[in-house]
Amino acid sequence: MSINNATSTRDGAGLRPLTGATATAPRAGTDADQPILTARGVTKRFPGVLALDNVQFDLRRGEVHALCGENGAGKSTLMKIISGLYRLDDGEVVYKGEPRHFHSIQDAQAAGITLIHQELNLVPHLTVAENIYLAREPKKGLFVDRRKMEADAQVYLDRLKVNIKASDLVLTLSVARQQMVEIAKALSLDAEILIMDEPTSSLTESEIDRLFEIIQELKADGVGIIYISHRLDELRRIVDRVTVMRDGRYVSTRDLADITVDDIVAAMVGRSLEDKFPERTSVPGDEEIMSVRGLTRHGVFDNVSFTLRKGEILGFAGLMGAGRTEVARAIFGADHRHGGSIALSGRDLSIASPIDAIEAGIAYLSEDRKLNGLAVGMSVKANITMANMAAVSNRMGLIDDRAEREAAEQYVRLLNVKTPSISQIARNLSGGNQQKVVIAKWLFRKSRVLFFDEPTRGIDVGAKFAIYQLLDELARDGIGVVLITSELPEILGMTDRVVVFHEGEVTGILETCRTNQEEIMQYASGVKRMPC
Amino acid sequence: MTVTDTVLQDRKIRINRNDLIQKFAALAGLVLLVIAFSLTSDSFLTTSNFVTLALQTTTIAFLGFGATCVIITGGIDLSVGSVLALAGVVAGLAVKDGMPVVVAMTLGVLAGGVCGLINGLIITRMKLPPFIATLGMMMVARGVTLQITGARPVSGLGDAFGVLGNGSLMRMVEEGANGFPKVVFPGIPYPVIVMILLAVAIAVVLMKTTFGRHLYAIGSNEEAARLSGVNVNRTKIGAYVLAGLLAGLCGCVLMSRLVTAQPNEGVAYELDAIASAVIGGTSLVGGIGTISGTVIGAFIIGILRNGLNMNGVSSFIQMITIGLVIIVTVWIDQMRNRR
Repeated sequence: MSINNATSTRDGAGLRPLTGATATAPRAGTDADQPILTARGVTKRFPGVLALDNVQFDLRRGEVHALCGENGAGKSTLMKIISGLYRLDDGEVVYKGEPRHFHSIQDAQAAGITLIHQELNLVPHLTVAENIYLAREPKKGLFVDRRKMEADAQVYLDRLKVNIKASDLVLTLSVARQQMVEIAKALSLDAEILIMDEPTSSLTESEIDRLFEIIQELKADGVGIIYISHRLDELRRIVDRVTVMRDGRYVSTRDLADITVDDIVAAMVGRSLEDKFPERTSVPGDEEIMSVRGLTRHGVFDNVSFTLRKGEILGFAGLMGAGRTEVARAIFGADHRHGGSIALSGRDLSIASPIDAIEAGIAYLSEDRKLNGLAVGMSVKANITMANMAAVSNRMGLIDDRAEREAAEQYVRLLNVKTPSISQIARNLSGGNQQKVVIAKWLFRKSRVLFFDEPTRGIDVGAKFAIYQLLDELARDGIGVVLITSELPEILGMTDRVVVFHEGEVTGILETCRTNQEEIMQYASGVKRMPC
Repeated sequence: MTVTDTVLQDRKIRINRNDLIQKFAALAGLVLLVIAFSLTSDSFLTTSNFVTLALQTTTIAFLGFGATCVIITGGIDLSVGSVLALAGVVAGLAVKDGMPVVVAMTLGVLAGGVCGLINGLIITRMKLPPFIATLGMMMVARGVTLQITGARPVSGLGDAFGVLGNGSLMRMVEEGANGFPKVVFPGIPYPVIVMILLAVAIAVVLMKTTFGRHLYAIGSNEEAARLSGVNVNRTKIGAYVLAGLLAGLCGCVLMSRLVTAQPNEGVAYELDAIASAVIGGTSLVGGIGTISGTVIGAFIIGILRNGLNMNGVSSFIQMITIGLVIIVTVWIDQMRNRR
């Protein structure tokens, strides 16, 4: 099957010259306003869930059409149907005037529809060219024509004006560059529709700028782009129309020029959000709960010191790779450290592993839930009690079923986790609810210090607000909260003080109410530095 | 089968429908096999044959239980076939040295446990993949076994050595009219009783204890388990020790049945063990698996062998059949998981 697809794609490529910008010259005889893709009445059921209910969507050539909605609204499901990953139960997808349903990703790609996943799908140990031409390698007789493959790949990379060599190994590239490789691959497939799922979630500002330039160029070439993002503020820069979905249903489609971000949010959550952040009700106490002195891990971070008070929300700000996550992991015992001391309520701790840290009352909620935080194949109940099995079992290690169920149910209610039951497998929950399950795990452990590493990444607006409220409540209960985030508004909206990192060093510790975004950026970029 | 039933009921509460379908599919396969063989062979559906069948299946089941625990963590144990030979030989030699049978067999089981401990340490401390670590142990244990026996069977172990493997409970014999003893009920062989007890015990460990929960957690997401304070290394070592102990017990039972310690016993048995776990729905990726499933898997293999034998099918064709069964069951399993 893949061989067939490969051939058909290669035939398609043969029709048009591989000469940079002219490769996708405007198609003659097509009306720009005529949709290239129309989905009508799309319905998809999963066991026990109606994931999509009679949804509609359309895309024009040369248009960037944003798809917005909270997690669990059905955006990804709809995109997976359009790109051939799922089959629809009802309704139809009309592509270029014909009803189509694709049986596989390859099938859709051959027809010109490419989905770029949030988690990139590249093979790290192959070169860029090998990835771009994976399963459709140009051949010379029996063998791969490496020279042609790299030359062809380079054409697409150059067209994106990115400084990537076709012979580079993918694992040596940053996430942003890997994304460019995915886009180059889509170009090489003569994509007429490009679906981008959260493309900017792990990019820096300048990388985002470059991505947007590329999107503009693709748009000018007539490529239709479906753009999924939780960062509503960036829509204004590239998007033409916005379709909002909620709870698996279609809500509305509007020209972006006619509406505001607040309108979108209101449509997404079905109510208007007064504010992005809840009122802070907690006031940090005077009592110092944790004190970190001279924490060092050679080559990663150096001489990091800070204190955390009871009921305080302390922000960790800094650019990517500044060492914030690494410091948190070292305090938690997940990574080795070379020096420094950690004291909890004045008592020095010797933390060699997460077991020691958890024992002392420290918890770490990792930035990558699925990778480090959640056993997605296990039930909500098992995840909630995982860090505190001792509380629901006797000394022999025999689990008390009832105690465990009650504990899980209590925390599901407390955090308002949306799940049909505590036996539900965690994989089937939306991102925001998965995050709540992880938080529940640490609350059940009665932790005194909680590190939240990017707790709202990839979570929708409504769920974000709920998480913020939770942070505030935790602080009000006297827990010390450390909030690691790349979103400066979060730092300003939620924290009492902020520790700013630059290249593995603390450059400043600021009172949040007496600082602003610009000042934090100056410390984060190393322009300003506090005397220690 | 009461084991299976209670386990099934318990799962029904907390696991989704798909698991039940899989369970019933395997169980239905088992029933179909029984029906098919009953129709094709008169002597299949008899008490004595069922006792034989259960006895034959114990070997696969003992090893299968261990394999299930290890595979749930995402690991694999290729060494159990060799370890059971080592354990049996240790027990045999100990008896030869004049030790009582009970002590000798305990030593044998412990020898298996030590092999498992070494496996676990190599995997967790030296951080070698389980496949490599246990492949090495498979060869080392076999080599040690052959070395200490000079590749010769240890025989003349006395009747007491054969009791565990050949004795049975509630055996009823009455004297026939011709003066010869007639077996009314062949009794439940001790190995079958041990198998039932172990199935219940290990099922409880997996489902009701923190150790069991940790096995699943590690297989489902090892890093998440570690960051939740699960002692990953200790738990993994525990799984391999358990597999080793069970292999040791299996070796003692097998050698007891033969009343001879055979250094060449158990070659490729690890594959039967893995097959029984996999047929029973244990996922090689980790995080999924039950003892009830493995019991069914072991019996499917056992009944296939027994029934095909009765029908005079050659052992070569048996291998082909069992191979196909493994492929088809796992294929069905994957179909069910596909969206």
